[in-house]
Amino acid sequence: MKNKLSRFAVPYVVWMAIFVVAPILIMVLYAFSNGEGGATLSNFVQMGDYAAVFGRSFKLALIATAICLLIGYPVSYYLSREGASFQRTAMVLIMLPMWMNFLLRTYSWMTILENNGLLNQLFQKIGLIALYNQLTGSNLEYFSMINTQGAVVLGMVYNYLPFMILPIYSVIVKLDYSLLEAARDLGANNVTVFRKVILPLSLPGVLSGITMVFVPSVSTFAISRMLGGGTELLLGDLIERQFLGGAYNPQLGAAISLVMMIIVVICMLVMNRFGEGEEQAVML
Amino acid sequence: MSKELIRLRNLCMAFDDELVLDNINLYINDSEFLTLLGPSGCGKTTTLRIIGGFTTPTSGDVTFDGVRINDVPPHKRQINTVFQKYALFPHLDVFENVAFGLRIAKVPQDEVEQRVTEMLEVVSLKGFEQRRIDQLSGGQQQRVAIARALVNRPKVLLLDEPLGALDLRLRKDMQNELKRIQQQMGITFIYVTHDQEEALTMSDTVVVMDKGRIQQIGTPEDIYNEPKNAFVADFIGESNILNGTMVRDNVVKMYGKEFPCVDGGFAENEPVDVVIRPEDIDIVPMEQGQLVGTVTNVTFKGMQYDIIVDFRGFKWLIQTTDHSPVGARIGVKIDPDGFHIMKKSEYSGMFGDYSSYSEEYEELADASAELEEEESEDEE
Repeated sequence: MKNKLSRFAVPYVVWMAIFVVAPILIMVLYAFSNGEGGATLSNFVQMGDYAAVFGRSFKLALIATAICLLIGYPVSYYLSREGASFQRTAMVLIMLPMWMNFLLRTYSWMTILENNGLLNQLFQKIGLIALYNQLTGSNLEYFSMINTQGAVVLGMVYNYLPFMILPIYSVIVKLDYSLLEAARDLGANNVTVFRKVILPLSLPGVLSGITMVFVPSVSTFAISRMLGGGTELLLGDLIERQFLGGAYNPQLGAAISLVMMIIVVICMLVMNRFGEGEEQAVML
Repeated sequence: MSKELIRLRNLCMAFDDELVLDNINLYINDSEFLTLLGPSGCGKTTTLRIIGGFTTPTSGDVTFDGVRINDVPPHKRQINTVFQKYALFPHLDVFENVAFGLRIAKVPQDEVEQRVTEMLEVVSLKGFEQRRIDQLSGGQQQRVAIARALVNRPKVLLLDEPLGALDLRLRKDMQNELKRIQQQMGITFIYVTHDQEEALTMSDTVVVMDKGRIQQIGTPEDIYNEPKNAFVADFIGESNILNGTMVRDNVVKMYGKEFPCVDGGFAENEPVDVVIRPEDIDIVPMEQGQLVGTVTNVTFKGMQYDIIVDFRGFKWLIQTTDHSPVGARIGVKIDPDGFHIMKKSEYSGMFGDYSSYSEEYEELADASAELEEEESEDEE
């Protein structure tokens, strides 16, 4: 019986081996080799020059994740308390942007944030910029919004917010309503019910939401290039340049990828450990 | 019984125009074990939820200790609930589940420890403090739920079918356990169940409900021995319910024959429902019987046989320790106190016939009032 079933797993195993395991192995090989095929650690030494890029990437990804959490949790929580048909409609609306191409979505933010883009035009029309100039004595023609770290974070939040909302929502919506009634029965008011029952029980959703936002944010390159204008170089851009750009150096690119992957994995492990610890701390 | 604690006055509850509680009036005494008994959909759980504060009645009042509490939220009532599926917190261990209410009340740590330990002892779960909820059996979870509610020293404990998910053996043990805990704590239990045996075993007072109305309130003995209508008679225990006429006090007429009984107070020749409990019927030789019938079905039940006897087309259930084979002609004798006479009600004619017990005989269609014809049917 068991052998029979395992036969169906063969295509999956082959697929994983070719498209997941093999690329990682190739990446590791590249990371430890120089252009001529000899083994070396120089790629990792060279990476020290890019410490600032590492720092910026993790900083922006952390900020974006925090903002997603701050927006995503309340949205998920209040959504789960609404009627079923409202929930369905809201879910479709939240998912709707994801049916559009990622680049298209980000391009449209460019036209919104540009110096003579939609937002600045609006601010000009309603006299906000003139007002600002008057108040501060400056002489601005527009607010510079694009090509800033803020724009990059905005792009990350906009693109990855659904990945925060979905896991949290699906955990909260499945909470047994009688648990909340039981807590109220035992003397808890609404705030206490949330703090002592809903929040700890929704923690798994929060953790998976954080993972699902942080990992793509830290490795993104399209967002930073389009909304950061190349001035806010992130890890993703750096890696891309090693493979496609003028700085062609796949060995270095592989090394950076490897280090980033290891850092992300460590982050996730620490966070999951922290999550478990949290649960146990509540238990004790 | 001591003083009155809770009173429900003219309580009505409607969900989307559907009346689920129809003018409920009930008072509950301090330290009483009261059971709301009825089939599913009778309104018993709704009544309990109104007392607990989870549902607001459409009209009518709930008073607690003389104070109207309609609008008091659950967390401000001196009432705790044991939920149907226990509703234990999966992220907390046994100790913290029980301590939940005390922590919210900001009880000092040493008192929390003392009270939780004490309560776990009451429900026989000492040593389980650090267990996770999913490591407990159904019966243990049940007892944690009871401890979690009782540790707050409520004046009233509400229990919503708490034994429904347990197997028969455990259920029996827990019935005794619950009764013991109630007496030990000396507080009011309001218990909801559809299991009549549970209700009779544990309660001081049983409230039988159906279709959102109270059918009868009384002690278990009253409810069993003196049911008010055919619904109660059928729901509590087994009953043969027959059409009869009250000729005069202490004489009831069925099958054209007069039987001595001990009921009175009816109009002369008033049509009535006659209840005869299966265990009150004695099987005697044919010639000594008040009635003669044919055995159509025998089921061995361990302690007794359940036999179905056809008396001129109406089938009775008789519980007896003597075996009578299918097809046997037997006589029956009923003592005067074996009859219970009830006024006709909306439930008359709906219950108390055991024809469905022996469908394979399909005799009902051919049944006639003539004994002779019955004999020929037996040969089929």
